[in-house]
Amino acid sequence: MSLLKRKKKDESPEGSGEAEAVAKPTKGERMGQAKDLSVHHGTQGAIDVAGWVDSRVNATGIFTAMMSRHVPKGTNWFYTLGSATMFIFAMQAITGVFLSMYYTPSATQAYASITHLTNDVFMGEFVRGMHKWGASLMIILIFLHMARTFFFGAYKYPRELNWVIGVVLLILTTVMGLTGYLLPFDQRSFWATIVANNITASGPVVGPYLADFLRAGPDFSATTLSRFYALHMMVVPGLMAALIGAHLFFVVKLGTTAPPWVRAPRPKGARPSESVTAGVASEDLEEVPVNGAAAAAVTEADPPVDEANAAEAEAVEATEAEETESATATEEPAAEAATEEAEEEPPTDGEVSS
Amino acid sequence: MSEPLNKNSEPGEEPRIKLPEAEPRGYFEGESMTRRHVFTVASQAIGGVAALAVVLPVVGFAVAPLFTRGEERWEAVGPVSDFNAETYKQVVFTEITGIGEAGKTTAYIRTGAEKFNEEPNDVIAISTRCAHLGCPVRFVQAAQNFICPCHGGVYDFEGKRLGGPPVRPLDRFQTRVRGGQVEVGPRFSVTNQLKAVRVRDPGEFTGGIWEFLYPPRPSTFPPPSN
Ligand code: HEM
Ligand code: FES
Repeated sequence: MSLLKRKKKDESPEGSGEAEAVAKPTKGERMGQAKDLSVHHGTQGAIDVAGWVDSRVNATGIFTAMMSRHVPKGTNWFYTLGSATMFIFAMQAITGVFLSMYYTPSATQAYASITHLTNDVFMGEFVRGMHKWGASLMIILIFLHMARTFFFGAYKYPRELNWVIGVVLLILTTVMGLTGYLLPFDQRSFWATIVANNITASGPVVGPYLADFLRAGPDFSATTLSRFYALHMMVVPGLMAALIGAHLFFVVKLGTTAPPWVRAPRPKGARPSESVTAGVASEDLEEVPVNGAAAAAVTEADPPVDEANAAEAEAVEATEAEETESATATEEPAAEAATEEAEEEPPTDGEVSS
Repeated sequence: MSEPLNKNSEPGEEPRIKLPEAEPRGYFEGESMTRRHVFTVASQAIGGVAALAVVLPVVGFAVAPLFTRGEERWEAVGPVSDFNAETYKQVVFTEITGIGEAGKTTAYIRTGAEKFNEEPNDVIAISTRCAHLGCPVRFVQAAQNFICPCHGGVYDFEGKRLGGPPVRPLDRFQTRVRGGQVEVGPRFSVTNQLKAVRVRDPGEFTGGIWEFLYPPRPSTFPPPSN
């Protein structure tokens, strides 16, 4: 918005009060249609393209829903474990694609291609190391994330499906580990795969057939390596990407769970002793939400703290909550002032893009 | 005609324009399928057929090895005179082609011994693949036992399980003698009484009620008759 305002000002040489009249972008502007093509160049053009795309796919809407959603009070570093897992997944995908540029999935050439990649290719050892260490790191992080959601009770209604999707993701992550382990095709990976296949085969009734499927036959063969490669490169990552999408959709749709030590607010008029539960400090009881939606409702309904309000507030309430709220209250005018200041000055291209 | 024809009755009045009676009666209300329903079902069916046309061949393609049996391979491992009934001789041969060194396997070979009720011109080839999880076992002369390095599986001279986690005796290979040369063929598994059965993967039982947990696979060769 302010970007569009500035652009308008820039166009009118006098820079008079007209600026107010054009505060709102016209429909054409919103659709990214330039009034005067001659003044559009550099970043301005990029912004118009971005606007043009955005008005068609609503990228900002989706971005806002993902990144500016309300989170419950008490959200802490443990809530980053899912994103950390996702980061490692992306890292594995990227390094994996680049490793595949040098790797040959053939029983007679695989080992040599890995040796070449590690010893001769520029940064080969580093990229392979990222992929190798990343694999272990992802397993560690996914378990930590699972532990977080378990101990915070985040698997309960209405998030059971996210737990189920999570379990499938966990299994698929271990499948990635298993199938990737064979690819270097050295003694260790060969025998590890033999053993893993034999363990699979010893499962009752379906075991023998599942092992035949994995090996592509009754014994380990040349096709086994191609099969593991296809599973590792395409089938499983594809499934995982789709499931991570669903997982995130539910996180955004349902909001995240508040930590178990954060309680719903005391009902109005209740005496402090009434809501005190054993072992929980009374300060903690003031706040808040049971889930994301409730969090949103509470944050929005609360008026900014003013003097009257503060006087009313009980002594115990002067905790985290007010700190946060007063922080927002002071931050907002400052932000507005900053915007106004920016409008005063004739902007340069550099500023527009910042 | 002051009234437009299509102006029909107010609620509660007799209809001014009488529609013809449906013939047969109830034809419109009682229709079992609307046009919309027909098209919904038809487009879903066509979509389903299109999806199956892709999924079925692909799944079949991936699952085919379960139902395909490879070529029977025989490989000469040395003249009959190399082997005796008292002890084993180690041979290395290719069990699976196309994967280089990894396709080779080791077997211990001897000729039939009277104390085990075997014919003197039988050739017995014991696989080194441990019946627990498939590590390579070694024949230890001093103990006259096969010993597995991984989890301590121990087998006697005939390959029967003596101790440790393995669930059945060591596998064997079919053998034959052609032109004075001993040839080794497909692998088979044995029961605790050394009766030949279809090959199983390590960790799978060949006897007792547990055997039924591991049905035979169509990808394996039938056992030699004995
Ligand atoms: C590839 C693996 C995974 C990725 C990339 C992933 C990603 C995420 C992300 C980014 C969140 C947002 C909140 C947070 O980070 O805590 C989340 C939430 C959640 N995840 Fe995962 N996750 C994965 C595996 C799992 C597993 C294995 C489980 C459990 C079996 C699980 C269960 C959940 C649940 C229940 C939530 C909702 C948390 C809440 O409402 O507070 N996820 N996941
Ligand atoms: S693999 Fe031989 S005892 Fe486990």
